[in-house]
Amino acid sequence: MSDHSSPQQSPSFLDLGERLRQRGQLEAALSVAQAGATRYPTFAAVHDLIGRILADQGDDEGARSAWLATLECDATHPGALKGLAFLAFRRRDFGDAERYLEAAAAASPRDTSILTALDRVRSMRPANAPEAINIEDPVAGLLLLDNQGLRLAGGLGSGQDEQMADAAAATAAGAAREAERAARLLGLGAWQHLMIEGDSMRTALLPVAPQAMLLLRRPPTAPVGRLLAFASRAVQAARTWLGNS
Amino acid sequence: MNPERWQRLLDDATAISGVRGAIVVSAEDGLVVHEAAVEGLETSDVAALASVVVRRAESIATASGDSQVRLCTLTAENGTVIAAQGEHGLWLVAVTEPDVELGRLRLMLGVLAPALG
Repeated sequence: MSDHSSPQQSPSFLDLGERLRQRGQLEAALSVAQAGATRYPTFAAVHDLIGRILADQGDDEGARSAWLATLECDATHPGALKGLAFLAFRRRDFGDAERYLEAAAAASPRDTSILTALDRVRSMRPANAPEAINIEDPVAGLLLLDNQGLRLAGGLGSGQDEQMADAAAATAAGAAREAERAARLLGLGAWQHLMIEGDSMRTALLPVAPQAMLLLRRPPTAPVGRLLAFASRAVQAARTWLGNS
Repeated sequence: MNPERWQRLLDDATAISGVRGAIVVSAEDGLVVHEAAVEGLETSDVAALASVVVRRAESIATASGDSQVRLCTLTAENGTVIAAQGEHGLWLVAVTEPDVELGRLRLMLGVLAPALG
């Protein structure tokens, strides 16, 4: 039995929809794309196309939903990440725009247009304007968890679903216990953070309170010093969140 | 596997101001493979504890859908343990004072560790 949720090759409706979009025939383009999405609901490119059409129509909320749907199909889809960055830029949320572009740069490190956009967004942000912290936003790359490994709020970032966030929380609690134990037994005192660096991501785990910790996840292009400075502010925000919950 | 080369790598790492010592660890079983200038630390403890933390860090990376861990840094109020992945399951681990030149050390370990094999 064949799988009809995603086509084997780039289908003609995708080209047709894109041509109509470029000609400014947005309603027709949307109709074609939505028909394609109905037939191939897990095909990332068609949701990306819908996102671009809706963004052209000025429907930012609809475009955002379409691009988030794209990331559910393909967590590192550069078009969707760039689209979400564009929407953030349009609402002058330069921190969010930078975060999405960093993720896009990690997915497509040779795409100079992304790096150029990243430079532009960074230059737009006022020198002293700190990145906004939203503990409850699942795409903010901030995951608050309790010491039993249960997720309290947040998520791993764009393209990572709740199941992955729950799995990360479950493993992070054990890692925090071992970090605390290692620091104590080696005579290093209280642990402050555990930084994990790989080719695709930088992750920091920090204690927030005796019963809670925070996992912060950023692309590998994120400067380590800035990541830790942000993490320090995020811990304060998490403590406030815990106090209010 | 070349102990003389390991010694040179460890000497380079411990030459950085604030580094108390450096060891080559087999992360799978937490054993010391080679060590240098570890002041006031039980190297077997360092190896065992560092390897546990590294494995836990790898679990987080796997659960998050990330690629393998290259560098793992545990920072505490009185110092830092930093582990860089080498070849054949070996990790280069350094233990430092709190005022170490961490930026320089992490770059150096990242360069040195792949030469462990």
